[in-house]
Parts: sequence; structure tokens; C-alpha cells
Amino acid sequence: MGAGRVLLRFKNIGYGYEKDRPVLVEAGLELAAGERVGLTGPIGSGKTTLLHLAVGLLKPDRGTIEVFGRERRTERDFWEVRERMGLLFQDPEDQLFCPTVLEDLAFGPLNQGRSREETEIIVGETLEILGLQGFEKRITHHLSGGEKRLVSLASILTMKPDALLLDEPVIGLDPESRERIRSLLLTLPQAMIIVSHDREFLLSVTNHTLALRGGRVSPAAERAGGDRLSALPAREGK
Amino acid sequence: MHIAEGVAPVPVAAAGALVAAVGVTIGLRTMQDRQIPRAALMSAVIFLASLVLRLPFGPSSVHPLLNGLAGLILGWAAIPVFLVTLFLQALLFQYGGITTLGINTVTMGLPAVICYYLFNGYIRKKGTGRGGFLGGVAAGVTALVISFVLWAGALLLCGKHLAVIVGLALGPHLGLVLIEGLFTGFAVSFLSRVYPAIFEVPSGREGNGSA
Amino acid sequence: MSCVTHYTGNTCVHRLDPRTRLLVTLGFSLLMALSNHSGVLCVGVVIGMMLAALSRLPLKPLLKRLARVNLFMFILFLLVPVTFTGRTAFSVLSIDFSSEGLLWSTLITLKANAIVLVFAALVGTVEPMILGHAFFHLRVPAKLTHLFLFTLRYLDLFHHQYITLLRAMKARAFRPRMNLHSYRSYAFLLAMLLVRSLERSERIMAAMKCRGFKGKFHIITHFRFQRRDLIFCILSLAVGSILLGAIYLNIWRIW
Repeated sequence: MGAGRVLLRFKNIGYGYEKDRPVLVEAGLELAAGERVGLTGPIGSGKTTLLHLAVGLLKPDRGTIEVFGRERRTERDFWEVRERMGLLFQDPEDQLFCPTVLEDLAFGPLNQGRSREETEIIVGETLEILGLQGFEKRITHHLSGGEKRLVSLASILTMKPDALLLDEPVIGLDPESRERIRSLLLTLPQAMIIVSHDREFLLSVTNHTLALRGGRVSPAAERAGGDRLSALPAREGK
Repeated sequence: MHIAEGVAPVPVAAAGALVAAVGVTIGLRTMQDRQIPRAALMSAVIFLASLVLRLPFGPSSVHPLLNGLAGLILGWAAIPVFLVTLFLQALLFQYGGITTLGINTVTMGLPAVICYYLFNGYIRKKGTGRGGFLGGVAAGVTALVISFVLWAGALLLCGKHLAVIVGLALGPHLGLVLIEGLFTGFAVSFLSRVYPAIFEVPSGREGNGSA
Repeated sequence: MSCVTHYTGNTCVHRLDPRTRLLVTLGFSLLMALSNHSGVLCVGVVIGMMLAALSRLPLKPLLKRLARVNLFMFILFLLVPVTFTGRTAFSVLSIDFSSEGLLWSTLITLKANAIVLVFAALVGTVEPMILGHAFFHLRVPAKLTHLFLFTLRYLDLFHHQYITLLRAMKARAFRPRMNLHSYRSYAFLLAMLLVRSLERSERIMAAMKCRGFKGKFHIITHFRFQRRDLIFCILSLAVGSILLGAIYLNIWRIW
């Protein structure tokens, strides 16, 4: 690990929604190119907060955030970050807002300033990669839960991001859709942070797992144990 | 586009209140009990649009008035909806006022009803294609133009010397008309593709041969 | 974080019956609207300030509210005296300001401030839901009261969803500009919220029906008209009659 260029670095991040109840205290984290990091932790431990901090939807009370080699502070600093870093929201309903799949997938590329023609080509390619051919004219509001999740993932991939931040990408999905997303994630080249409660899922798609507890990030116990046992043959997971 | 607290002399305020009362009564009659949540949703949307929706417009920003859209979805019920919205706006941030509540309700609500009669049928027939957008643009533009005329008329009734304010407001409102039209167009295009049932307005006197 | 707020507190004004406060506000506003009497309007502003002080309205929000009204009044002062024909009071850069125009603008400004102050102090201090219940007891049509109450219920739900969706749009590099793409995106955002809320409200309605709801809220807040309300009413009537008398007899004019 740590071989690639560092894409994202959190240093001593402190953040609280209310003044005297901090969610994060001195949280630190690094994501290098090509790396796949899993992030676990109890509900309310600040996993989503951390992802939102990374793209500047929230601003930290303390500490520094470095993305793509530069420290980011102001809203303007994060404009570039958002064009290059894809954030998948936990609930696709929070993310999809256009009438049709085509319009929703085109939203990001158009924000990046791509032309209409180029955007349509990218949308077509992305739908094909995700096995969603022919979905262009479908009404997003009428899609099934699994389809909505896939489309919201697609809406981020059309922006051709350098890194992905995925917030609970398989929560509440049926086994089939879950497997579909799992195998898709394995084929993607981007570095990613995946927030999930599902240890088995994380083991199968990430290189290493971190845990968020008490506002700090530390190596996850299970994985650390697993690594210690790695001398043993027939290791489960990967 | 509203008349501020205290500006309207009593006869004008009273006339406004009277017309508003008639409109509200008809609106409440046509609104069935099960429609109340839908109407309330619309007044919440209109209120919040004025509070948080900021459409960039030159160096500043504007918010859509949405009375064209409200009319298409609600018909006559748009008038009580605007009464509630305008009351809340006066109560929470002094947009308009209680003595001008009637006039402002008429200014906003009446164009909504007119738009319902002019464009609701067209959108229900042709809404799924390009017609949804075009119908929406027409409704947004029509509603805003009528609102402006009513507002200007009311202001002139409050005092002839206020003509200067109407004159000054004319320029910016031309831009507003354009934005309102586009915004309503896009919204109607969305709704007629995703949830066309939203444009089915019960006429209230159904059953005994509506006119 | 609610977008529907009121001036909280526990002053003698807050303890008055909301129905009384509503009616007195209406009466007062009518009186102010009726009068073009400088003395009466000045008294009205003083009454407004006294009530605002009595109900301890927080200064900053109150000033903001007054600023919104007086911004318009400021425009009146700039424009109306120039266009109003009459005696010239003074000239700036050879533009004549008529004294009639100045007087008219002053009267309107006094009126507006008096009404806004009393409205804020007496009605702005009622919790909006309670206000809905007061409407009900004041025989406002039931449907209108329900519409008002449902609107309040939906406002926060809606506001929250709006913020969440807009945040997700920002995460996809959305930066509002003056162009079609931005307007379309905002319109889609609003329409999507409308559709989702509509379906959700139908689910809520279904759940309420399952619990025996038949389209009407049961208003369980009952107000008690107490002695302090009686005193307040008598006081208001007395002040109102005096002011009405002053208008009728045309006395105590300042100009």
C-alpha cells in the first residue's frame, strides 16, 4: 500500500453538527491512486460526514483536507474536486432528480462543461458498461430500488472521475443487484473509499479496511486479525 | 410582486378582500377533502420557492412565483392556496401584509385560475411530448403577465403618483417573465412525463353536468 | 432546523389568548389603514413599539422585518415627492421634491410600521400551529384551516428534502449560473420534490385513514378566555375609540 500518488489526505479533522458534540476528532485518512479502502463504524460515527467533507459539502471545524495534491479550504477550491471525485449518496432518492435516466446521467458531464454530443456518447458507453442498455428514456422515478442504485452509480461514472466515494453502495439491495454492483466495482479502475456495514462485502472489494470510532480512524480489528492470520493457507474473502 | 403593508387605502383594500373572498369560497367549494394535502403541498412549494430557490439573474437572483404552475395543478383551489402562502409570507417575513392580503391573493390567484382554463386541457392532451414544455411556458408567461397587470392596476388605484414605481418595475419584470416561463415549462414537462395524473383537477361540480 | 419560526417567549403578551390577539390585530390594522391622521398614526407606531417591547421581540429579526418594509418606503420617499405635483419643499440637483409628496410618503411609512409592529408583537408571537387552531375557533372555514395546518406540516419535510437534493447536485459539480441548464435543473429539482412529496402525502393519508382519520383534524387545543384577556380587550377598545374619536373630531393633528 501507499505505492500510488496520494489523491486524498485528511489531517486531524474535527467536525461537529452541534458545537459541543463533535462527530469527528482528529480523524486522519489517506487514499492513494489504485487503492480501495473500506470504511466501517457504528451508525452516527461520521462515515457519511467524512465523505461529504472530502468534496466540500461540509467544511471542517479543524484540520486540513488535501485533494489531488492541493489543500482545499474554500467553496471555490472544491469546484475542481467535485468535477474529479464521484460521490455516491447512500439513498439514490437523494441523488436522482431528472425525469429520465438520460437526463440524469447527462447532468454531471454538462456541469463539467462537456458538449451535448460528447455527453450522449459517454452516457451510452456508461449504460453499456453497467448493463443498462436501452434505459435512456426510462423514467427514473419509476425504476426499482436496485435499478435506481445502478443508475445513481452510473450518474457518477459519466463524469469519468479519478476517485470514487461510495456511501453504502449495496445497503437494502436484493442479492442479485448486490452481486451486480460487487462485480462492477471490481472492474472499475478508480481509487475508492467504500463505506459499508457489510464486512463480507468490504472484504471482497477492498484492499484494506478502516474503522471510524470515537471520531478517529483506525485499522479495522477484523481485518487486522485477518492479516495476522494471513500466513495460514486458504484465507477467506479474496 | 406584491403590495406592501399600509400602502392600500381602505376602499382598494376592501375591494381586494371582497374579490379574494369570492375566489377563496369558490376555490374551497371545488376542493374536496382528499385534495387538501395536494393543495397544501403546493402552498408549501410556493412558499419555499420564494424562500430558498435562487435562480441566477444578472448580478442578482430571482425566485419563480409559480402561479401558472399552481393553476394548472389546482384550478380554482389555487386561490385559497395563495391566501395561505401569502399569509405565511406576511407572518414570517413581512412580504406583503395583512391589510393587502386580499389584493395580493387576487393578484397571484386569479391568473392561476385563468391559466387553468387556458392550458390545463392542452397539457393533459399533449403534455408528454414537446407540448408539455410549450404549454408550461405559455402558462408561466401568461400568469406572470396578468399578475403584473393586476399588480400595476392595484398600485395605480392606491395612488396615481405610484405610476413611477410601475414604470421602474417594468424592465426587470420582462426578464422575470422569461425566467418564469422557462421554469414553468421545464417543471410541466417533468410532471407530465413522470406524474401526469397531477394535472387532473376535479371540477367540484362533477356529476351534475359541469359547464 | 425549521423554516417556520415564531418569536418565542413567556411574556404577558405570549400568555394572552391567541384569538384575542388576532382580532385586536385585525381591528388595529383596519384603524391604521382607515386613518390619514398624523397624530393617530404616530400614536399607532408608539403602541406598536410598546407591544414589541412588552413581548420582548428579539431585536435582530425584528429589525430585519422592519427593514424589508422600510426599504420600499425609502423608494417611495425617493420617487413619490418628485412625481407628486404640489408646492416644492426643497430641490436637490434641480429636482423638486413636493411637500405633499413628502407628507404622503411619511403617512404611509407611519401606517406600515405601526401595523407591522403590532402584527409582529401580537401574531408573530403565536406558534403557527396554534394559530391554525385559533383560526378554527374563530370560524374560519374548516377546509382553509386544514389547508393552513397541512401546509405547516409539509414545509419542513419539503425544506429538508430540498437541501439534501441540492447538496447531491452540488456534489455532481452543479454551479448555478444564468443559463438554461441551471433553470432546467432547478425546475426538475422542484418537480421531483413535488412528485415525491405527493406520493408520500398519499402514504401518510393512507396511514392516517388506517387509524380512523376521516379527513378532519380534531382540534384539541381549547383556548380559555381569562381575566387578562378581558382587560386586554377593554384596553384595546378604549384606545381604539379614543383614536377613532380623534379622527372623527379631527383633533390632535401634528400637521
